[in-house]
Parts: sequence; structure tokens; C-alpha cells
Amino acid sequence: MNARVVTSDVLLGLLPIAFLIALWQALVSFGYAPVTLLPPPGLVFGRLLQQLLTDTFRQEIAATLFRLFAGFSIAVVLGVAIGLAAAVSPAINAVVRPIVRVLAPLPKVALYPALLLLVGFGHESKIMLVAADALFPILLSTYFGASTVEQKLIWSAMAAGTPPRGILFKVVLPAAAPSVLTGCRIGLVISCIVVFLAEMITSTDGLGHVLVTAARTFQAVDMFVPLITISLLGLILNGLLEALRSYLLRGFPEV
Amino acid sequence: MISGETALKRAAPFLACLGLLALWQVASLVLKNDSFPTALEALRAIPSILGDKEALINFAASLRRMATGFGLAVVVSIPLGLMMGRSRLVASFFNPLLMVIYPVPKAALMPIIMLWLGVGDIAKTLVIFLGVSLPVIYHSFQGAKAVEEKMLWSGAAMGLLAPQRLIRIVFPAALPEILTGCRTGLVLALITMITSEMIARQSGAGNILFNALDMGQYDTVFAMIIIVGAMGIGFDAVFERIRARLVRWSEPQFDIPLSFS
Repeated sequence: MNARVVTSDVLLGLLPIAFLIALWQALVSFGYAPVTLLPPPGLVFGRLLQQLLTDTFRQEIAATLFRLFAGFSIAVVLGVAIGLAAAVSPAINAVVRPIVRVLAPLPKVALYPALLLLVGFGHESKIMLVAADALFPILLSTYFGASTVEQKLIWSAMAAGTPPRGILFKVVLPAAAPSVLTGCRIGLVISCIVVFLAEMITSTDGLGHVLVTAARTFQAVDMFVPLITISLLGLILNGLLEALRSYLLRGFPEV
Repeated sequence: MISGETALKRAAPFLACLGLLALWQVASLVLKNDSFPTALEALRAIPSILGDKEALINFAASLRRMATGFGLAVVVSIPLGLMMGRSRLVASFFNPLLMVIYPVPKAALMPIIMLWLGVGDIAKTLVIFLGVSLPVIYHSFQGAKAVEEKMLWSGAAMGLLAPQRLIRIVFPAALPEILTGCRTGLVLALITMITSEMIARQSGAGNILFNALDMGQYDTVFAMIIIVGAMGIGFDAVFERIRARLVRWSEPQFDIPLSFS
């Protein structure tokens, strides 16, 4: 794919976004929507820039990011470890499998009240919720990736005298890496969503709290700002993960 | 012997449930926290919720919205995803838009949508629709992209037009992947349903749950968590049955423990 094709693809992709913003502006300009309900895009983006320059807003973003990363990191560590263990050992598999079957489809947000009552209204309950929600996609895709590693690779490593532990870290984990990273990507998006929701339910800071405060006072402009911010954060984090992915998978054939 | 083993396999999820409940029971007995009832207390509160007529009406309203949102989302998303998978033009047209929308929590749009559409059914159904459609689009897209070109070429050689190829070749070939997306979507529908009702407290299961939390009726809170959890597990199990039947022809994945230890 050459550079010109890529630029034309990007331009094409920007069309619907531009169209949506134009439609938004048109709805306001032609008076179909009152400004109090649907502020014009210029006003919203101006407000976003203005907010980004203030310290308080940046602290809200920092609070959200902290919870997001803490929860996501716990999910990655636990998910990869349990997923690998379940793929490698039939005994662990027999225990983990039914538990995952029960817990994975459980709507974790419903657990949030329980977490609130147990560990309180601080960071911990939100971090635990994020971790619980991001854990399962990572665990499942690690398990899937690790259990579809070609057996021949393992046999060759065994024939070459690699100890089991070496096989796990030098053969299985690298071979499962693409699948693990796909799981991480899904987990990251879920983390963005969940951290925001948790902050909306109960919080004193963070982007979700900004939205709730604005909604209580019917400040439509301020309601759009945190939503756009979380979308941008998601895009940036996704881009970073993508960069990490292409760095980690540089030796792999195109996936 | 084999039948015993399969019986054990069948029973394993139930055993896991029992194990988790037992763990909960022990934890609550050890912690002795007023706001953390034991598993037995929570289970005892379930019949009184399910026997209450008002609660049942709430559940019915929730399920109706969830079914409408999920149904609409599937009907719209599958064709869109398949077309994105088969045409680079369509894919590059929609991809950036979807990437912008993806990390936005759909239930967080509730306050804004409520301003326009009110707190009624339409707003909540719309939010569920948005929540379900993204994974379904994504998986249909991936599934359609992975369809073997040769099959399409032979279809074209035998005179199938592009829309016919999409329905008769791409759709069945991508079905396993599409159904994976629908399964994710189903769980998401339940999650969005609960959160949307929590934000717009008017009716529904989420409303009961968070009202009980506010009023400090902790056994109701935990009983509701069990009910909602059971709904999630139940829906998932039923869907998995249907899925397994529909894609019986596709090779089973996911079941090979590695042998080197």
C-alpha cells in the first residue's frame, strides 16, 4: 500500500466525521435545536481547549488516567498469568474454566454497589471494577493464543533440551503475543468505558464526575467536554498500544 | 467412565457457582461487616423481590428495552460490518468514525440523550443500540475480511451478483465470527441496560438495584446482584447453545491444553 492510497483512505475516513460536525452545526444554525440543548461545535471545542488549559480539569484527567492504568495493569498481569497457566496445565484449566464461564458473562457494573460497600468510595473500588471488567477479554485471548501454539514448536524446543519454564517464556508466550495484544486492546477500550461509568456513579473527581456535575446543572456545553476528552484519550491510548504492538511484533509475519 | 466425565464437565459451572457463593459466605462471616450480608441472607431476599408485582413489571420493562435495542443493533450492524469487510472504500469511510465512538461509554451519553428525548424508553433503547452495535460491527467486519477469495471468485464465475455473494457466501462464511460479536453484544446490552437505568432512575432492574443501595437495603442490593448476574449467565448459556447449533460445521476452537509439562 503506497502513501497516496493511505492519505486518500484517511481523507475518506474523515468525511463522515466532518459530515457529522457539519450536521451538528447546521442543526444549531437553522434553529432546529435550541442552543441550551445542543451547543454549536465551535463553542464545545473552544470550551474544551479552554478547559485543557486549566489546572483543575487536568487534575480530573489525571485522576481518571490513574484509575484507568492501575486497573488495566492489574487486569493485564492477572489475565496473562491465569490465561497462560490455564493453557499449559490441565489441572489449572479444569478449575479456571468453569469459574471463567460463570464470571465472564456477569455484568460487572452490577458488582459495583458491592465493591462500594466493601472497599469504600475511594480509588480502590473503581480500580477493582476496571480490573474486573478488563480481565476477561485479556485472559480469554491469552488462553486462546497460548492453546493454539503449534505443538511442533514446543516439541522442537523440548528436543533441544529447553526446560519447561524456558518453553513457557521463550516459545509459548512469544507465539501467543499477537493474541494477547488483541485482548489488551479490547481490555483498554473497556477500561476507558468502565472508569468513566464508575466515576459517574460515585465520585468526587475524574471525567465522569465532571459530566455528572454538568448534567445536574444542565450545562450542555460542559457535558460534551468530558465525553470528547474520553474519546480523545481512548484514541491516544489505542495509538500508543498500536505502536507498542508493532514494536513487539516486529519479527512476526503480517497479522 | 466417559459419561461420568461429561457429567462432571456439565456440572462444573454449577460447582463453580456454589464455590463462589461459599467463598462469599465465608468472607462475609469473617469480615462481619454490616453492609456485607452473607450469601444465604442475599439468597433469602430473592423470593421477596421476584414475588413483588412492581419489581416484575420493572424487569419486564428492562428486558423489553434490551431486546429491542439488541435486535435493532444486530439487524443494522451485521450488513454494515460485512460490507466494511468486503469493500476497502466502505471500511475506510466508517473506520475512523467507529474508532472515535468506541472508547466513549455509551451509557454516559444518557444525560445528553435524555435532554433531547426525555427519560423514557426511546433514550434507553437508543443507548443499548449504540452499545451493542460496535462489537457486532467489529466482529462482522473481521469475519467478512477473512472469507476466502476463491469462494467469492467461484461465486462470481457462476454469475452471482455482488449483493447475492454477500448474502449467500460472505454471510454464512463469517457467521461464526458474527455470532461471537453478538455474544459480546448480548453481555454489553445487559450492562448498558443496567447503567442506563441507574442514570435515568425511572423503571427497570438497575433502578431497583441502585435505589436499594441508596436506601441502605443491603440484602436487596446483593440479591439484585445475584439476579442480574444470573440473567447474564443465563442469556450467555442460551446464546451459546444456539450458536453451537448454528455453526456446528465450523471447527471447534479453544479446547487444546498444551502438552509439555
